[in-house]
Amino acid sequence: MNSTAASTAGTERTPHRVGLLDRFLMQGGIVITFLVIAVVATALIEPRFLNRLNLINMMRNFSFLLIPSLAQMLVMTAGGFDLSVGAVVAIASVVTATVMLVGSGYFPDAGVLLILLSLAAVVGVGVLVGSVNAWLVASFSLSPFMVTLAMMSVLVGIALYFTQGIPIYGVTDTFVSGVGRGQLLGLPVVLWVALAVLAGCIVLQRFTALGRHIYAVGSDERSARLSGVRTGRTLMAAYVLAGVLAALTGFLMTSRLGAGHATIGTTLALETIAAAVIGGVSLRGGVGRAEHVALAALFLAVVANAMNLVQVDSKYQTLVLGAVLIVALAIERLLLRRRQA
Amino acid sequence: MSTPSGTQAAAVRASATSLVAGLRAARLPIAILCTLVLFGLIEPRVLSLGNFRNIAIQASYLAIFAMAQTMVILTRGFDLSLGYTVSLVSVAASMAMVAMGGGDAAILWGLGAGILVAALIGLANGLLIAGIGINPLVTTLGMANVVMAFASTVSDGFPVTGLPPGFTAMFAQASVLSIPVPILVAALVFALLFLTLKATRFGRSLYIIGANPRAAVAAGIRTMPVLVVAYMLCSVLIGLGALLLTARTGSGEPNLGGNLTLEAIAAAVVGGVRLSGGEGGVGAAVLGALFITVLSNGMNLVQIDGYLQQICLGVIIIVSLIVSRDVRR
Amino acid sequence: MLEVTGFTKAFQGVVALDNVDFSLERGEVHALLGENGAGKSTLINLIAGTFPWTEGSCRIGGRPVASLTPQAARENGIAAVFQEFSLVPDLTVLDNLFLGREQSGGFFLKRRQMRQAAVDLLDDLGFHVPLDEKVAFLSRAQKQMVEIAKALRTRPEVLILDEPTASLTDGEAEKLFSAMAVLKGRGVGIIYVSHRMAEIRKLSDRVTVLRGGKKIGTVATAEISDDDLIEMMVGRPVEQLFPKIEQKPGEVRLEVRNLTTADGSVIDASFVARAGEVVGLAGLVGCGRSELCRAVFGLEAVESGTIRLGDKVVERPSPPAMLAANLCYFPADRGSEGLAVMRPARENATMSALRLPSLAAGPVLKFWRENEVIRAPLTELALRPMAPERRVSAFSGGNQQKVMLARGLMKPFDVYLFDEPTVGIDVGAKADVYNLIKRLVEGGACVVVSTSELPELVNLASRIYVMHEGRVVAELGENERSEQQILSHYFGGKA
Repeated sequence: MNSTAASTAGTERTPHRVGLLDRFLMQGGIVITFLVIAVVATALIEPRFLNRLNLINMMRNFSFLLIPSLAQMLVMTAGGFDLSVGAVVAIASVVTATVMLVGSGYFPDAGVLLILLSLAAVVGVGVLVGSVNAWLVASFSLSPFMVTLAMMSVLVGIALYFTQGIPIYGVTDTFVSGVGRGQLLGLPVVLWVALAVLAGCIVLQRFTALGRHIYAVGSDERSARLSGVRTGRTLMAAYVLAGVLAALTGFLMTSRLGAGHATIGTTLALETIAAAVIGGVSLRGGVGRAEHVALAALFLAVVANAMNLVQVDSKYQTLVLGAVLIVALAIERLLLRRRQA
Repeated sequence: MSTPSGTQAAAVRASATSLVAGLRAARLPIAILCTLVLFGLIEPRVLSLGNFRNIAIQASYLAIFAMAQTMVILTRGFDLSLGYTVSLVSVAASMAMVAMGGGDAAILWGLGAGILVAALIGLANGLLIAGIGINPLVTTLGMANVVMAFASTVSDGFPVTGLPPGFTAMFAQASVLSIPVPILVAALVFALLFLTLKATRFGRSLYIIGANPRAAVAAGIRTMPVLVVAYMLCSVLIGLGALLLTARTGSGEPNLGGNLTLEAIAAAVVGGVRLSGGEGGVGAAVLGALFITVLSNGMNLVQIDGYLQQICLGVIIIVSLIVSRDVRR
Repeated sequence: MLEVTGFTKAFQGVVALDNVDFSLERGEVHALLGENGAGKSTLINLIAGTFPWTEGSCRIGGRPVASLTPQAARENGIAAVFQEFSLVPDLTVLDNLFLGREQSGGFFLKRRQMRQAAVDLLDDLGFHVPLDEKVAFLSRAQKQMVEIAKALRTRPEVLILDEPTASLTDGEAEKLFSAMAVLKGRGVGIIYVSHRMAEIRKLSDRVTVLRGGKKIGTVATAEISDDDLIEMMVGRPVEQLFPKIEQKPGEVRLEVRNLTTADGSVIDASFVARAGEVVGLAGLVGCGRSELCRAVFGLEAVESGTIRLGDKVVERPSPPAMLAANLCYFPADRGSEGLAVMRPARENATMSALRLPSLAAGPVLKFWRENEVIRAPLTELALRPMAPERRVSAFSGGNQQKVMLARGLMKPFDVYLFDEPTVGIDVGAKADVYNLIKRLVEGGACVVVSTSELPELVNLASRIYVMHEGRVVAELGENERSEQQILSHYFGGKA
């Protein structure tokens, strides 16, 4: 029918040709390519990669990256940014350990109860931080980047102030053996949790009104509002969910480490943004799928694992992370530009 | 409609609005004075001449970083690699000086190496952001990690010692006309940038690009080179600040950058540089830096825990964002 | 059914709508007529709840309503289709149709049910749009159809249509008209904004004319002539608005041959423009005339074709090169591409002149001379208030436009490209713009005007090129430029 020229007087640019390249980019082409290359290369260079113990270990690390990356994705698709994920992880870890330490004084033998108590406390922390973030961003229309950057400073400060940088021991054994080191059907418990979160995110994005609204608010806030979407509430939901997922990550990491650390999660802001961006989440909001972010997180986990296996200094791992992030974005930009030119 | 009482009320309202506007404009000097007085009441040493001198010196380092950051924030940009650039420049300059014999003759080599490293980082940022068109936040965040990796590995993570004694003497301890060198350098940078923003095509272009990049293109401004130069200028100024800091500590420190990224952005934003570009200036950055320095100096003197200070910094950023947000809309 | 009285709206002290009464009956099509900036869009936005009114009262179905938000308006059965769409680009057509009113059972969406409802709705209207395509990939006409379908999905009792045919082809517009007839039969009241006389005559029962934010009158469409309507709208006979321009076409200043843009928005377009004449570019919104101007100025990537300025072929058009070659372009969209609205008027006026010797010595800006340099242009354009240090956003639309036009007076240019030079400005400012064009042309410059306002084309241009779907489909000379003749080419020249 009417397939040609149609854009208003310069206000909106309409791509006219939806080619293979767009489909490739939309279906997570970049991340799948990256992942395949990484897996094949690692397996070839270092056969120990395929060792069962190594894979399980890698899967565990993957889980610890996947959950906060999904949190980052939720906020980014809503048009925001969450630099405070890592800080929430740290504070959640401190809270988990503290609740268990204090709680074990009252209920010395109730491991499961303590786990549930600390989980509740941690979820509370996530809800609180998420709602403060969303409140500042939505009510004052502040830059989400600055708000969460400042929030990061505050949260890390709080975590360090209460612990003075010293790990909090006294985590229940049940917690470490059952959750952190536990396995279910041969796979780590934390992986099951991460996969459940992933499934939840996919369902949210595909099958619920809230998922639609998150995309809508991120893609075009004004249109969403005019269409009757309650944009403030939607943002609140996205940030609160992100806060809860970040807090859950802190909870799970504590079960692995066996202690509450105020210093974990420092690199997570970058890592989760990297996973989200490599997974095709748009920095402008409105675009991004949980399953692609999961692939990106897996890719980053494989790369980190490979570098550990060949004993690369962990300092260089951050270099690779930064470089991969920039390269992935540059490739995407250049591909898009070639299409437009 | 316009009864006498009506016009009177209008006049009262008008003078009230202008009073509010005036208070808004002078909010930072007022805040600085209040902070000084408040801490002075708790700890009289805050209000001593010696402490004022300390504040001025400390503030000049932060002011240089805040002014550097301002140059890119004006264009809707950001430099999150600031802190690690400081670290890498410090290590690189120190290693160059040590390698060139550690005598006073090596100082020039150190300065050259430091500025060169900074300029290269700025060039990379600028090309990625303006040339390829990647979001500045993510570009400089990624760059921050690349730079951090270099900073912590080139010297195996250890401080580089054995700097020429003249280096510290010249760039940290010396005074010209009884003005300490760091203050002098900051003042010089301020003057140069002020003139650049007001009286050069480059400066004007920064504002226009920040206010509306598409309008800048349509007005025939070559945005790409302007942005690349802006990022390089930003990095070189960061390098300059890093050299001054290195002279003060007397060694090349891989962890020198620390909290500086956050503090520099905070100073610029608190001062009133608009985060979404196009508004603000180096004066605002300097005032913001002064405020943050007065605050942390006061907190140090009344012995507030360092971690609590970090919390305060975050809260202050949020409060100043709320206060200075664009209420005209 | 809907009745508003004394509606007044002020934006930061500027009165956009002044004490306007308006009513709508069941099953009535009530046209709103007025120039850009007359207050039409303010009125319909107030009724749709986009922003609150400053004064006045509103009754819907006899019940007084204290205030309206978009949600409240919708709950009261009011739906609006604005020119600026409320579609989310990254969602599919289907998702957009149900955005904000998803049907879900418990937590999960009823996807099959929504799809069926969407298919029924579009079939009902006779619109063909792919349901699973992202809205970002649709043409403007398709978006328009989705927007209309979305508004109708809530079964409104009051439907506001803001120039819905601006980007539709004849056939699509006919489908819309028959859909409107059906709705009318069901008792839906329709507020129809347009400035196409033929449509208003064909569709509407009553017309309300607005001018300068005030209501001029409401009349039954059948009882008034076109000429009287136009005079109500413009406030003076048409001849007084447009100056008489002495056109003395001289040598060719701008020649475009077989130009095709990379994105396919302009295909194989050619035109010439001479010194001392005004050339008009006509066509629907989205027909490619804006893109053609942008491509000539170097803002749109060119795939093939040549652009000749004077006797030189421009190899790689770019804004700085074109400005240096004495071609000046004024963008259609002041806000997004023309002005840096948070900066003072002074800086906006000199934005494209920062390399002129009067303002620059090398990289140094002679800021001390800036005020002197802009005084003459801003005085000639009668900027009100004459406050060059005020930020542009604080000026009215017409005066913002003047700030942008002042750029063209910083030095004598050979060729001026005006894209929609009078969008959203009042009649007084329009006359100022037309006088500027007159002065430029009579001074020997070559002026190209791309506009959707037919009277401008008829009264200003000596020759008119009509574009359709990216191509130039007709060139109309001196004696064939009536509005009817231009319109007959709008849909691909089957006249």
